[in-house]
Amino acid sequence: MTGPDERDRRVDEAAEHEFAEYFRARRDAVRRTAFLLCGDWHRADDHAQSAFVALHRHWRRIHDRNALDAWMRRTLVRAVVDESRRPWRRERAGEPPEPASAPDATDAVATRHALVDALRAVPPRQRAVLVLRFLEGLDVAGAAAVLGCSTGTVKSQTAHGLAALRAVLGDALDDLRPAG
Amino acid sequence: MPMDEKRLTEAFRAAVPDESVPPASFDHADVVRTSRRVTARRRAALAGGGLAVLAVVGIGVAVLPGSAGGGGSSVAAPAAAPQAPPAAAPQSADGAPGVAAEDAREAAAAPAPPLGPGTGECADRQDPALRAIVEQALPEVAGAPEAAVTLECRPGGERGLALHVVDAGVAGLLTVDYLPPGTAPGSPDPDTERTTAPTASGGTVTVTARSDEPGALPPYGQRVEELAGFLAPRL
Repeated sequence: MTGPDERDRRVDEAAEHEFAEYFRARRDAVRRTAFLLCGDWHRADDHAQSAFVALHRHWRRIHDRNALDAWMRRTLVRAVVDESRRPWRRERAGEPPEPASAPDATDAVATRHALVDALRAVPPRQRAVLVLRFLEGLDVAGAAAVLGCSTGTVKSQTAHGLAALRAVLGDALDDLRPAG
Repeated sequence: MPMDEKRLTEAFRAAVPDESVPPASFDHADVVRTSRRVTARRRAALAGGGLAVLAVVGIGVAVLPGSAGGGGSSVAAPAAAPQAPPAAAPQSADGAPGVAAEDAREAAAAPAPPLGPGTGECADRQDPALRAIVEQALPEVAGAPEAAVTLECRPGGERGLALHVVDAGVAGLLTVDYLPPGTAPGSPDPDTERTTAPTASGGTVTVTARSDEPGALPPYGQRVEELAGFLAPRL
């Protein structure tokens, strides 16, 4: 028969094991999302690690394991957007990159770089909406839940974000622009 | 999903191919170690806060016997005690009741040493010392949840606090930033209410209120100036 201490230890071990599995499965995806949100791998890793640290601290209190991805998205996006408002690490609002020429269909690498560069020129909150919708694949309601705003705001931010992308990518966005 | 949105999704997902992803700068052990360190520090801070409360209560207990003698000024002292800086409390709790009352009055009247720059270490972005002062000025936000927590390195000793707040039914973010001497704040975001003030330590404090909903008045937007005015001599 096991005592309460032994049971607690086993619960702790099981929880740590679960967290380790989640970390292994999701680390790179979270880093990738963070990178598109902030445009810099060092900061992306800082944000991703901080989000995992926060998750680890709350792990025992998050009972719905299906909600973990949403929890991580919310933590990550809010951290990146809030950070961009901080005066000591405000993103440089310098000249946007030169508009890209229409990419050669075979030049996939250039297209990818152009998209990443163009995202850096999009205001942080609009960029977050674009990343949530088109990288994470969330619908309008899902993005609104992550950002804590209305669906109308998500729609308008999507439109503004795509317009900002278009200002940088120029004709290269035409093939990517969503309807409506 | 409309065809164009599908194409956008494919473009976003292809934007960071596996071969372009650098090795991660952290692993599972780093996360667990940091998590435990943060938790231990939070517990230590809570324990320290408890001691400070006990010390302040001690002032009140020391002062109350004086008030029994009918001294009008002693009645005011316990009310003033919570305003006294925590650092002054142990000194005030030492002497006889009359002396303690005098100390408490002095502590309440004399400004605390300005908080000044932080340590510069990589730490919780939410600054507990800054939060304690903010809550003195704005007790309504005492229970407000902190915005998403990250760890940040602040080589200049910057301090920061960001709270999710609700004021008159309007939700938003209340942000307080302390910048050390020589650091200038950036330009304010649109749709925010922001005030900047020089602080006693030569730095700058900015208080910013932003509504979650575009167009809505920011929560506590009418009080950012008052809050900055309260914080400036204390930072």
